[in-house]
This record gives sequence, structure tokens and C-alpha cells, in this order.
Amino acid sequence: MFKNFIFSFLILVFIGISITQAQAPNWSEEKNIYEKISDVQLKLINGENISLHQLAAQRPLIVALIFTRCTGVCSPLLFQLMENLQHVPSNKNNPYSVLVVSFDPLDSLKDMELMARRIELQNNKDWQFAITDNIDQLNASISFNPVWNDEIKQFDHDALLVGVNSDGYITKKLIGLRNEKEIGLLISSINNVFSPTYRLPTSSNLFSCFNYDPTTGKNTPGLGLLFIALPAVISFSLVFVIRYFVKRKAV
Amino acid sequence: MENTLLKKNTALWIITILVLFVLSIILGIIMRLNQGAVIQLSPVTFYTDMTTHGLTMIGIWFVAGMAGINFIMERYVKTSYWANLLAYILTIVGVVMLWVSTLIGNFHAGWTFLYPLPFKIMWSAWATPLFLFSLTTLGVGWLIWCLSLVTALLKKYSIPQVFAWQHFKKNPQVETPPFVLISMISLVGIITCLIAAVILLVLLFSEYYSNGTFVNDALLMKNLTYFFGHTLANEMLYLGLAILYELFSEISGQPKWKTTWYVALAWNFTLIFILTAFFHHLYMDFVQPEGFQIIGQIASYSASLPAAGVTVFSVIVAVYRKKINWSLSNLLFFIGVVGWVIGGIGAVIDATISNNFVLHNTLWVPAHFHTYNALGNVLFSLAFFYWFSKYYTHSKSKDRFSTLKLLFIVIGGIGFLLAFYIGGADSIPRRYSDYPEAFISAKALAAFGAAFATVYLIGIIILFVNISNRCLRILFSRS
Repeated sequence: MFKNFIFSFLILVFIGISITQAQAPNWSEEKNIYEKISDVQLKLINGENISLHQLAAQRPLIVALIFTRCTGVCSPLLFQLMENLQHVPSNKNNPYSVLVVSFDPLDSLKDMELMARRIELQNNKDWQFAITDNIDQLNASISFNPVWNDEIKQFDHDALLVGVNSDGYITKKLIGLRNEKEIGLLISSINNVFSPTYRLPTSSNLFSCFNYDPTTGKNTPGLGLLFIALPAVISFSLVFVIRYFVKRKAV
Repeated sequence: MENTLLKKNTALWIITILVLFVLSIILGIIMRLNQGAVIQLSPVTFYTDMTTHGLTMIGIWFVAGMAGINFIMERYVKTSYWANLLAYILTIVGVVMLWVSTLIGNFHAGWTFLYPLPFKIMWSAWATPLFLFSLTTLGVGWLIWCLSLVTALLKKYSIPQVFAWQHFKKNPQVETPPFVLISMISLVGIITCLIAAVILLVLLFSEYYSNGTFVNDALLMKNLTYFFGHTLANEMLYLGLAILYELFSEISGQPKWKTTWYVALAWNFTLIFILTAFFHHLYMDFVQPEGFQIIGQIASYSASLPAAGVTVFSVIVAVYRKKINWSLSNLLFFIGVVGWVIGGIGAVIDATISNNFVLHNTLWVPAHFHTYNALGNVLFSLAFFYWFSKYYTHSKSKDRFSTLKLLFIVIGGIGFLLAFYIGGADSIPRRYSDYPEAFISAKALAAFGAAFATVYLIGIIILFVNISNRCLRILFSRS
């Protein structure tokens, strides 16, 4: 009896652990794609007040989220971006602006201006530095979740770049420090140019696991899923068939 | 007569497996020496070695388990000698084709040959079809062998009996021996993953010979690859456990282990959940639905923990305050269980989604699978090989170097694995032929791992000479 109790208890414990452990961190480059970014009001360091959608309508945007007290990834993110953009300059065929927004409510316009000056971008027309009073709204629309760490007085956050086209839609997100080629794809995507990142299903692709519908943004199960279930179905059927025949032969 | 033939065939399997094992360990040591910058290989040679090493190891320890259970199953049911022999012949042909495709044709898409890598020809053009045909040859032989063993079991046991379902009730009328239960569970799992391999190969061949008119879905191919690969790697371990359940008590001079309701439940759990645990290999594939990822984690826990729990419990109960006739065989079984559990815990840690974000594709992965293979499954099979060679040569002599062999294997194994674990915890990626300077400790750890792997190899070679000599006597004896 005691043995049974211990065994049942252990089973319950590990089922509990496995269910609670199955929580994946909530970040993904695929979230919010083709959704509109929140149209928050921005205060730019040149004194202009403008909404994010209005700014995007002028030129598609690469939005970078940083904070000025950051001792971590913010500066490397901006420097890497600056370096990569030298190879894909903004022009008539490929227009874009970089919008650097602080997600720290303590940052002032002056802090952002100092930052722009420090990296010598304050007079670069392709770069805008801004703060907003609605940062939570903006963060929520792009699934950006910085967490304040009181011990080190820093935000724990991803190095995130968000591509926004001239209609205000998020076309691509890049998490982490990325190379020139990927930044090039980001710029193509905000200009509504096809980015050949993944092979798209064609008529020669018969057994897709899922079929993506770009108009609804939904995946529907495809024929390929059957192939994943098939081995188990066949082998269990085989067990029954073999048993049936050996029993019949024995009789 | 048939028993004698089976005995000889088992001896042949053992010699072949040990020869291939020694060669594959040498390939592994060469890879670690290259990663440690002790020797210089071209990346092509490194990845060719990696492909050969991985597939050969998986293959030989699978057939080692199969040869073992086939031999012991003869105690309960009549098995087919011809299926066993056919599997041996096709395995030899398949391995030769595989080694030619990799070592001569330079095919180096890794043991997982993830789609579309086999079609990105960076080797002799003939190597891709030869590689695929080698897998087909191996798969056909193994599938026939498994089906013949399942048929043998089903001739004697009904479906509820062979899965020990009667043990869920009190006082079952018929007892299903643990060996029969675990063998059946493993064989059904193996047949399932071999069928996945058949589908995978058909799809690969279809694309290869379609001249672009048929293209595969990468997500489907990855799912099928790991359905086959992950499941086979796990099931072959369970074959070793089936042998342990049969022989450990026998060699130790203890009463035979019995099937209880929780043993039956745990192994039925394993049968169901092991078939979906492979989803944990696709945690980083964003197109895989989140539901599958959660199933992958829950199945990883459910497949491994109950079986591990009851096995460890049974082994502890068997040895705790009991008079045991310790020999090299049951010591190998005992240490194998420890290695299996440690490797299993490492695997479950990695199969936990939140941890996988950190450990994915780091050296943690080879760390855990080498633990439950090099210090787990391999030891189960070596225990069987040793017992078999001693028992059927009627050798009563006490092995003088047992402790020394064991020390070489255990110390060498621990040092070799430690280098992987530390590297994994330090986020050093796996599958790099050369480590850039950014990974400060990677080279030193690789050289350290290679040194200890050499110690492990010495232990294996001593054991190999010992076991092979006796197996050769069995092979060439008249009875």
C-alpha cells in the first residue's frame, strides 16, 4: 500500500512539474508580424511632435528600442546597426529612417539628444531619436517586454529591431545583433519588397504540414501532418494483424 | 541445431560490433583532437568523420541490443534464425555502403542528414544516393528482424498479455516476464520509427529522382528525421534494459524479477510517450505549433521518468543489503544504470523548454547522449557480451583484470563526458570543427575530452580482446 502511494505521488509530482515547466519564454520574432504598430505620439529631439504612423508614412521605419542608462546591449545594437546601414544607404529606391525610441520612462529628450550626439548622429536625417508618454502601449504592440532588475539598476531586455512599412504594419522583427544581410532583408520588407527568407510552398510541394493563408494569417493543418501520425498507426495495426494471423494459423 | 546457429550468430554479431565500436571511438577521438587544435583536419574530413561516427554508433548499439534480446528471447519463444542472419548480412552491406559514401564519397551531412542537406551536393554526386541506399538496406534488414521477433512473441502471448495489461488487476492469472514486456514495448517503438524512416527515405528518393518536380516540406522532413532518429536512439537503450531485467538478478544469484502493476504501467507509459518525445528536437523551429512543443516536453518526462524510476527502484532493492555475486557483468549493468540515469537527467533538463533556450545545440547535447550511451547502453550490451562469452565457453576462471578494465572505462568515460558537460554549461556550441577564439575554454576542454576518451578506449580494447577471443571460440566450436 505504502509503495503504491509513493508511486502515485511521484507520478503526480512529475506531471505537475512537466506542465508548469512547459511555459516557453514569451518572445518570438514571428509575433505581431503584419499587425499595426501602436500609433503612439512621439517627441523627437528636433522638437517635433508626431505620431508614429505619420512618421512611418514619410519613410518606412526601423524602430530600435533602447534606454540611455543602458550598460548592456543598447550601444552595441546601435553601433552594429550604423555599421550595417553603411552598406545599404537610404535612397529613393530604398527609403527608410531609423527611429530610436527610449523605453525607459525616466529618459528625457535631453538624455536622448545627448545619446545622439555621443554617437554623432544628431544631424543625420536618416536617424530620429524620440521618447513617448505611451511606451507601454508601444511595447505591447510589438511584444517587447523589458524587465527592471533592481539589483543592477538595469532593464533586462532583448536587442530588438522592428521593421514598420509606410502603412504602419510590422513587416519583420529581428532579435539580437544581426548581420548586414539580415538588415538588408529588413529594409526590403519595410519597402514591401519580397524577402526570400524562407521557401514558399509551391505546386510541387505536396505534403506541407501546415498551409499558411496570408489573407487571414492563419495556418491550417496540411497533408504532411498525416505522415507524422502514420508510422504509429501502421505499426500498431501491424501488431493486431500479426496477432490475428498467428492466432488463425494456430487454430 | 538452431540454438547452436543462434549462438554462433550472436558471437558473430558481438565481434563485428566490437570491431566497429573501436573504429568509431577512434573517429570520435580524432574529432575531439581536431577541436582541441592538437591535430589539423579539413572541415570536410571532420564532418565526414562526424557523420560516420554518429551513424555507426547508433547502428551498432541498436543491433547489439537486438542481438541480445534475440538470444535471450529464445528462452521464452522460438525465434527465426534466418531473420537474424538476414539482418546481419544487410547490416554489413549497409555499413560498407555507408562508410564508402562518407569516407570515399565525402558525404558529410551529419548523422541526422537533415533535409535539404543531402541535396546540397558538396561531395561526390554518387555519395548522396549511396548514402540513402545504405540507410534503406539497414532499415529493411532491421524491420524484418523486428517483425519476426514481434511475430514470435505474439504466437505465444495475446496482445493484452504481451503488454502485461493483466497486471493492472489484482492476482493476474498469467505472468508476463519483464523481459517479454520490455522487449515488446521496445520492438513496437522500433518498428514505428523504422516506418517513419521508410516514409522519410521514400520522400527523399522522390525529390532526388524527380528533377525538381517534387519538393519536400522542410518541417515534415525534420519531424520524420527525429521521429526516426530520436526514437531509435531511445528504444535501443530499452533493449539493453530488457536484458538487464532478465540477467541482472540471474547473474547476481537473486530470485528472478517479476512484473508488477507499476512496472507494467511505467513501460506502457514509455511505449505511448516515447513516440511523441521527439518533438523536443524542434523547439527552435518557430513554424512548429506551440501545442506540439508542449507535448514534446510532457512526453519527454512521461516516457523517461516512470521507466527510470521503476528500474532504479528495482536495482536498488535488488542490491541493498543483499548478498550479491558480483562479477564484471552485473557491475557493468549496475554502472550502466547509473550512467543511464545521469544521462537521462541531462536529457530531461535539455528537453525542458525554458532550459532549451540556453542549452540548444551546445555541448550539453552530446554530453547527455554520450552519458546514457557510453556509460549506459554500451555497458548494458558489454555486460551481455561478457556474460555470453563466459557462459558459453564454460569459462570458470576469474577475470584478473576486471577492476582495471572497469576503472579505465569509468574514469575515461567520466573525464570524457565532463569536458562535454562543462562546455555545454559554458554555452560552447556543438558540431564546430574548429572553435573560434571567442570560446576560450573550448579547445582545452576538447583536448581534455580526447585524452580521457583514449583512456576509455584502452578499457574497451582490453575488454574487446577478452570477449572476442571467447566469441571466436564459440564461433568455431562444433556444438
